[in-house]
Amino acid sequence: MTVRALVIDDSRAMRRIVTGILEGLGYETRQAGHGQEALDVLHEGWTPDLCTIDWNMPVMDGLQFVNAVRANPAWRAVTLMMVTSESEHGQIVRALAAGAHEYVIKPFTADAIRDKLALLGLLPQEVAL
Amino acid sequence: MTLTATRFDWVRQLVHRESAIVLAPGKEYLVEARLLPLARRMGLSDVDQLVDAVRSRPRPDETRQIVEALTTNETSWFRDGDPFTGLTSTVLPALQAARGPAERLQIWSAACSSGQEPYTIAMLLEDALPGAASRVTITATDISREMVERTRAGRFTQLEVNRGLPAPMLVRHFQRAGSEWEVAPGLRRMVTARECNLAAPLPRMGPFDVVYLRNVLIYFDLPTKQAILRRVRELMRPDGWLFLGAAETTLGVDDSWSRVVLGRTSAYRPLKGA
Amino acid sequence: MTAPRDTGLRRRASDRPPAVVDLLDGDTLLQIAEQAWLALVGEDEVLVPLPAPLPADTSSSWVEIVGPWTGAVVLTCGRDTAAELTRALLGEHAPAVLEAEDVDDALGELANVVGGNVKAVLPGPSVLGLPEVGATPPAGSRADTRRVAVLWRGQPLTVSVQSPLHTERENEVPL
Repeated sequence: MTVRALVIDDSRAMRRIVTGILEGLGYETRQAGHGQEALDVLHEGWTPDLCTIDWNMPVMDGLQFVNAVRANPAWRAVTLMMVTSESEHGQIVRALAAGAHEYVIKPFTADAIRDKLALLGLLPQEVAL
Repeated sequence: MTLTATRFDWVRQLVHRESAIVLAPGKEYLVEARLLPLARRMGLSDVDQLVDAVRSRPRPDETRQIVEALTTNETSWFRDGDPFTGLTSTVLPALQAARGPAERLQIWSAACSSGQEPYTIAMLLEDALPGAASRVTITATDISREMVERTRAGRFTQLEVNRGLPAPMLVRHFQRAGSEWEVAPGLRRMVTARECNLAAPLPRMGPFDVVYLRNVLIYFDLPTKQAILRRVRELMRPDGWLFLGAAETTLGVDDSWSRVVLGRTSAYRPLKGA
Repeated sequence: MTAPRDTGLRRRASDRPPAVVDLLDGDTLLQIAEQAWLALVGEDEVLVPLPAPLPADTSSSWVEIVGPWTGAVVLTCGRDTAAELTRALLGEHAPAVLEAEDVDDALGELANVVGGNVKAVLPGPSVLGLPEVGATPPAGSRADTRRVAVLWRGQPLTVSVQSPLHTERENEVPL
């Protein structure tokens, strides 16, 4: 069983890092540079199991993207994980209230991503069980 | 000034034996940087002296502190999640059925390190047990004074709260404190931190309903393991529960425990009359 | 005797925005930067707080913070250091040939990571801007800048949190 992730970040370095970690865990990945580009991928019919979402991006930011995904019942099964340097208590509350499931604060290590995916039941070997 | 090759090799072998982690050659500076604070705390001037001291007179506490300084960057919250799932799914309901509503539950996190384990337990109980703050006491102990102080402070860096702590729990139980995060006062009041050397006679504590003694026994020889398990049992209620690390067991060490399988983990309970 | 002209100084003194030097100490800024390096660049990539002169040819990246305190978080290092930093950040995912855009992007992302964490320490709510990169960072107030100078792999690098040059107070200086 393939597990798919859409990595959304306006920094290509950050997209490469997150993509590298997820592919190392067995994910099939695609990338988007902002929220609108990510919505385009979803509308294409490529539905991921997981989106990792930066907050501050041009065109459409991460919070707007979370709201857009949550407004469409077809994407209810998609797990949304913020990966952002926004790190105030209130910002994390806002993202969770909008419908994000998890929140990783930048800077993070590969272990931090893996730990969060384990919490979400989204480590590919466990998903396959 | 760098560590001599012989001393670096001794550290590498120790870390490999105890943790299966390989320190590549060329990491001398890393060993120096991580062990210098420990050497200073022991009143020694450098890492060479620390290595010589521990080599000539091996002491499990210092050995463990060396290994931990070199292997644990950040301890995870919910480390090996299963022993915590077992607490809320099986152990807590069993204890609630066995104890009166006014009885306090006493939990011991032995070797609490920087505090992730006792506060993980506190968060779980506060969410699962109404009025937990007045019904539960968590005793957190560690051999290292620095770790006891860190646990008492209940402050964690950004990198530490990123490790396996569910975001809803972070926002519910923590506040920002400068560049760090601080555990809510209610949870801090549930946790009492104190120094304790497991390999020596234990202070009067307990009796405990649940004991977390994880990733400690691996550092000791068989007679010491047996002595620790015996002393821990003396501080436990007869129907208490003991959680060990994933690679640890009482089997073949001390036959006065029965093993109970809880999902993907095991707990150990004192055998009656043993 | 003429009455002193109302310069508005007193009113402005009480309205003056908070100073970053009062809000953020050097240790906290160093800790924030070092955590970014240890997590993202590599677990051995320590920042040693030793000031050393920057080379003539530098690159900077910065993000703006707008809120109760407004200003910029600026990273500056030599151009060669910026390229080495990009390779270290990308690790095994680094392309064989590094484009200028890769370096700008990596340096900008580090400013974003440090900036986001600086913003969380300052009074809020504030908004974090998107990173910008250039040879010359925006001018900052000399009086209100918190700067740490460090060595990374022996190469100098500075992290500054600076109020903008054109604060109300400095505007009073006649042109």
